Amino acid sequence: MAAAGAVADQLVSGVGIGWRAEIDLLVERLPGVDFVEVVAESVPRGPLPESLTILRERGLPVLPHAVSLSLGGADPLDTDRVRRLAELAAAVDAPLVSDHVCFVRAGGLDSGHLLPVPRTRDALDVLVANVGQAQRILGVPLALENIAALIEWPNAELTEGEFLGELVERTDCRLLVDVANLWANARNAGRDPADLLDELPLTALAYVHVAGGVEHDGVYHDTHAHPVPAGVFELLAELCRRTVPPAVLLERDDRFPSAEALGGELDTIRAIVAGHRAPA
Amino acid sequence: MTTGDADSARARLAVAQAELLRALLAGGAPPAGFDRGRLAVETDVLLNRRRRQVGGCVGDLRDALGDELFRALFDAYAAEMPPTTDTGTHADAERFRAWVGEHPGGDEPPRPKPRWWRRRPVSP
Repeated sequence: MAAAGAVADQLVSGVGIGWRAEIDLLVERLPGVDFVEVVAESVPRGPLPESLTILRERGLPVLPHAVSLSLGGADPLDTDRVRRLAELAAAVDAPLVSDHVCFVRAGGLDSGHLLPVPRTRDALDVLVANVGQAQRILGVPLALENIAALIEWPNAELTEGEFLGELVERTDCRLLVDVANLWANARNAGRDPADLLDELPLTALAYVHVAGGVEHDGVYHDTHAHPVPAGVFELLAELCRRTVPPAVLLERDDRFPSAEALGGELDTIRAIVAGHRAPA
Repeated sequence: MTTGDADSARARLAVAQAELLRALLAGGAPPAGFDRGRLAVETDVLLNRRRRQVGGCVGDLRDALGDELFRALFDAYAAEMPPTTDTGTHADAERFRAWVGEHPGGDEPPRPKPRWWRRRPVSP
């Protein structure tokens, strides 16, 4: 385990974009992309999609990002899913993989989406045990992402910062900080998103997610299908003031805009990060 | 922490998570302490997501029904058939197709429109 306060190894660097089959050619042609991330469950078994092979041949890191391990779930860990993730990581020679601090399945039901875990000792113990079991199977570093949650469990015993801090300390996992999710949760709860940045164990930061969303009836939805709001970019800048992230990735999953629009959002991210990097 | 403690932490969490998912997906009572308005929003988000994913698998059926009838039938189906851990999206979609055959929601069972193209089968 890294010494307390020490900054963990850099596993990925630069500015990347989420590779999706619908925009594979667009992603291949976008200038200045340093790495891509792929939703692990969307990659068919068998030969890699040609586009990912092309990107790998160019030397671009491909990071598998899982959405279905349900690491915060009380059900026994589905080790077949973890093994499939490990196989994909090996196939693309990934420097790390990721999933979320969440649960997906319980009691025989499958929500099909990422749901928050209660911030209790019980939930933390279960999460730590599941993450440890997954890490032993994976063979590459695992980063865990904070989710956007519309609902909040009652009777929290730990703050979000304490919960994530202890998770990192007990499992030596890395952190994938999604600033759009932080911003969405803070906005929906009427809190200042910058306050949470001070609590996060940023020494474990592997990379950062940025994404867009939309507001409906007073609730902000993290859709990954709309432009990135100014507030999310501001929160990225706020994060950069505390620590310059090793890498930042733009996620877009639906209602795909033009290459110019996506390139513009990537340029904004580059400008924010460059503005906080110490001059060489 | 002993194994027994870990087992009981897991058991307590299992009860709480199952209760929440029953409320969100299977018409169960809202668990104590949650904001009911937000539970309703989350229920809608999960249903919309499932409908979109199933619709993507049965595009022929969705086209034949039209968006409005597809939505109404899917939501009636979802209320009867919550998404279970043993059913992936494709199986869910085929289960929905069979359910529509039994619940046409109109005078005539919907019949897919003929198409001049076919999707190439997706390799496993």
